Amino acid sequence: MAVIGDFALLLALALSVYSFAAGLLALLSAEDSGWARVGETARRAGIVVFGAVLLAAIALVASAFRDDFSIAYIFHHSNRDLPGPYKFAVLWSGQEGSLLFWALLLSGYGFVLRLRYKTDPRLFAYASVILAAVQVFFLSLVYFAANPFGLIEGPLRADGSGLNPLLQYPEMVIHPPMLYLGYVGFTIPFAFALGALIMKYPGEKWIHITRRWTMVTWGFLTCGIFLGSHWAYSVLGWGGYWGWDPVENASLMPWLVGTAFLHSVMMQEKRGMLKVWNMWLVFATFWLAILGTFLTRSGIISSVHAFAQSSIGTWFAWFLAVSFAVFVFFFVKNKSGLRSEHKLEALVSRESSFLFNNLLFLLLTLDVLWGTWFPKISELVQGNKVTVGAPFYNRVAIPVALLLLLLTAVGPLLAWRKTSFESVKRNFLWPTIGALVVALFVMFTPAGWGSIFGLKPWHDISYFYSLMTIFLSALVTFTVASEFYRGGRVISEKTGQGMFASMVQLTHRNTRRYGGYIVHFGVVLAMIGFSGAALNQEKEMEMGYGDHMQISNYDLVCRSYTQDDNPNQASEWALIDVYQGGQKIGTMTPQRLFYKASQQASTKPDIRQTFKEDLYLVYEGQNDKGQPVIKAHVNPMVIWIWIGAWVIVLGTGLALVEPAPVPVTVRVPRMVERAAPVAGD
Amino acid sequence: MMVRSNSIRRTLHCALVSLAVCIFAGAGDPSSRFTEIGHQLMCICGCGQILLECNHVGCPSSDSMRNELMAAVTRGDSDSLVQQAFVQKYGPTVLAAPTTAGFDRAAWIMPIVALLLGFGIVILIVRAWRNRPEPMLADGVHASPGAELEKFREQARQETDL
Amino acid sequence: MILELTCALLITAAALLYVFYLPGRLYLGPEKTRASYLRERKDAVYENLRDLNFEYKAGKVPDADYHSLKSSLEDEAAALLAEIARLEDAAAPRKTRA
Repeated sequence: MAVIGDFALLLALALSVYSFAAGLLALLSAEDSGWARVGETARRAGIVVFGAVLLAAIALVASAFRDDFSIAYIFHHSNRDLPGPYKFAVLWSGQEGSLLFWALLLSGYGFVLRLRYKTDPRLFAYASVILAAVQVFFLSLVYFAANPFGLIEGPLRADGSGLNPLLQYPEMVIHPPMLYLGYVGFTIPFAFALGALIMKYPGEKWIHITRRWTMVTWGFLTCGIFLGSHWAYSVLGWGGYWGWDPVENASLMPWLVGTAFLHSVMMQEKRGMLKVWNMWLVFATFWLAILGTFLTRSGIISSVHAFAQSSIGTWFAWFLAVSFAVFVFFFVKNKSGLRSEHKLEALVSRESSFLFNNLLFLLLTLDVLWGTWFPKISELVQGNKVTVGAPFYNRVAIPVALLLLLLTAVGPLLAWRKTSFESVKRNFLWPTIGALVVALFVMFTPAGWGSIFGLKPWHDISYFYSLMTIFLSALVTFTVASEFYRGGRVISEKTGQGMFASMVQLTHRNTRRYGGYIVHFGVVLAMIGFSGAALNQEKEMEMGYGDHMQISNYDLVCRSYTQDDNPNQASEWALIDVYQGGQKIGTMTPQRLFYKASQQASTKPDIRQTFKEDLYLVYEGQNDKGQPVIKAHVNPMVIWIWIGAWVIVLGTGLALVEPAPVPVTVRVPRMVERAAPVAGD
Repeated sequence: MMVRSNSIRRTLHCALVSLAVCIFAGAGDPSSRFTEIGHQLMCICGCGQILLECNHVGCPSSDSMRNELMAAVTRGDSDSLVQQAFVQKYGPTVLAAPTTAGFDRAAWIMPIVALLLGFGIVILIVRAWRNRPEPMLADGVHASPGAELEKFREQARQETDL
Repeated sequence: MILELTCALLITAAALLYVFYLPGRLYLGPEKTRASYLRERKDAVYENLRDLNFEYKAGKVPDADYHSLKSSLEDEAAALLAEIARLEDAAAPRKTRA
């Protein structure tokens, strides 16, 4: 298997090199039809690369299932008793495997792109060549610097050293592929953008094509990020879902810039503005995705999730530098083709709201980037490292995020070009009143209702932020609702359909806009979930038989504690009865697991989730009497983060649906009328 | 050192809240002070987690650090004193966020500067774009004169009527 | 080892055959003309006009804003239509004669 895998990698590399070189030559001697055939072979070589990398990946997974511990990578990341799905996950659980996986996804995207070339053969030929260049880099990296098929030195071992226990969780089988699909996918918009720049693409159609690819990629990355935080929440057992760790930040940065692009792209499609800016945003998204990989793979910045330190950092540094240089070169050479077609007419307009939207997304990115690099900078400047952790990011990012939420409410209601004061008043009066009512309701309801009720903003800055989040979320919700309502009313008046049917038709006619609104609504739900964090409670206690712990309005009683054993893992757990208002509402079993192959332990929290709050129990360990130490968290509103994530994914999917054609009164005769006399002439 | 940092932060918050009642919770009660300070410190075992969130089994440092913190809080040490003691013992990386002294200040100033600069630039851009010459139509397209244009306008109007 | 080498050879051969054996004509796509570029632009302006009409009907745009925005968009659309018509007029006679 190792031989086949190694061979497949080499074949893929050779074909990528061919695809790049032949494609480039064909483009350089464009008009010649002989060269067009060479271009076609380049495209086909690119297609075959996918098959070859797929073969290598299959070889690696098959080796894991066959427990082939002669391969060093399999030895280090698997063991005989590892459950099947996690054997499959070896493809992304370590450095070498995950780089192979990266190359696989990249060639998978390339495969789809090269199959769909008929959309615009010239543009796709350019994109294919650029993609081939990126493939050459990743495949060389996998083949020469981080080959997963390396054989183990010394005697053959009987069993592998096992998969990191933290990764033995169902979500770990889907989170990395989603995240990688997101990361890798940003290569496609980059390839199109650079291609369009090099060929001085006339018109905006390229950005239309790019936008759809970006949306798909963005959807995957969003999924990946949310799955990752859900995994952190349900596995790591520290009671939170986002720790502002460098690796998390690395995934957030391309997401932020990608989101900025998805907004500003509308300026280019609708108004022919921001062409230069969009070019840079696409590039920055791609570059940050690679930078993120560099951060996590090079060990240059310490992190919980980081892979082992290795030399591949140098490879990435060079790749970052070269891609930057190539982009800047062509930008300087061809930027004259990116002239804006319109002027901005008014400060209060959709256009300027997009400018501010982009500014805020970029500020967030910059803040995250700054925080991630600051320890390194501090070390260089003042000689000692400092920690830049959650308190820093929360303080810096939350105000910017709130401003963004405000824009989410305001932007969609502003008209393109200019919006008069009267229009602002007309569109915002009712949503604002509604949001104020919601905020006041939350403020003055009795705190005894639990969760976010009775939130007094003057008690703590974090309460203030939470209340602002709720106010702005309500504002966004009402403006989104009013958009659907008003649009639905127009259709309903025209067609006589009911309101609901009209809104469905409305969405179908402009999937992108109304899908986008649904994404906004999902973001609002997630924000409400985040805002609950201000009111988190936690408590830790040693609990013998029958001991009670009071937290929030829960009464926890330890019924028993025990141990268990199977070939893969040993476990200890506590049985905790949960009472509320004197009534038993359930039993929870926080656990601690010990994985035999890797000799590592981990905790497995138990979470009781309701729409109002989560009760989150962690088995922290045992005290010297053998009694469990239990830590309890009450985290309000967390479930809304996951619901919001689903809504975001749903909205993204909807926005990708091809819209129903607008019924147009096409009157062909005009052309025929005019053509007839000319023909007779 | 930390006293001043806190006061700066608080002023900032107050400005944001713009409410006179800026009495921060958790000044008296030891358990809430423990929680508050414990979330501003890191576990130094290398796990990269906030002290009170570090929960990995068999962590060599978090237990003793927590006990030290508890002891200091019950002793009634002020926030800054506790933090100073931790910095002396474990080095500056024990603080979860940069301080507001020396070069660390740059960490906090940069985001604010970027924000102001960013807004300034966008406003400048908006102004510059408003003063651009007449909007250009698609490259090389020029409005044709009079009656013919009116005909095409009518066509556009009809074809885009809802 | 022999088996693996045979596999490798077969795979390579199949890959090369797929890449280099090109029967039939290639699809090169339509050449992009100025007229098609203008039509793309026209579609964008039309969409903006439809959006504006829709938002006006939905009660989001006040009368004054609506009329000024509509007339400037119509100017743009008309200029594009005129240019497209001119190009088609120029192309039509040649086509009919050929």
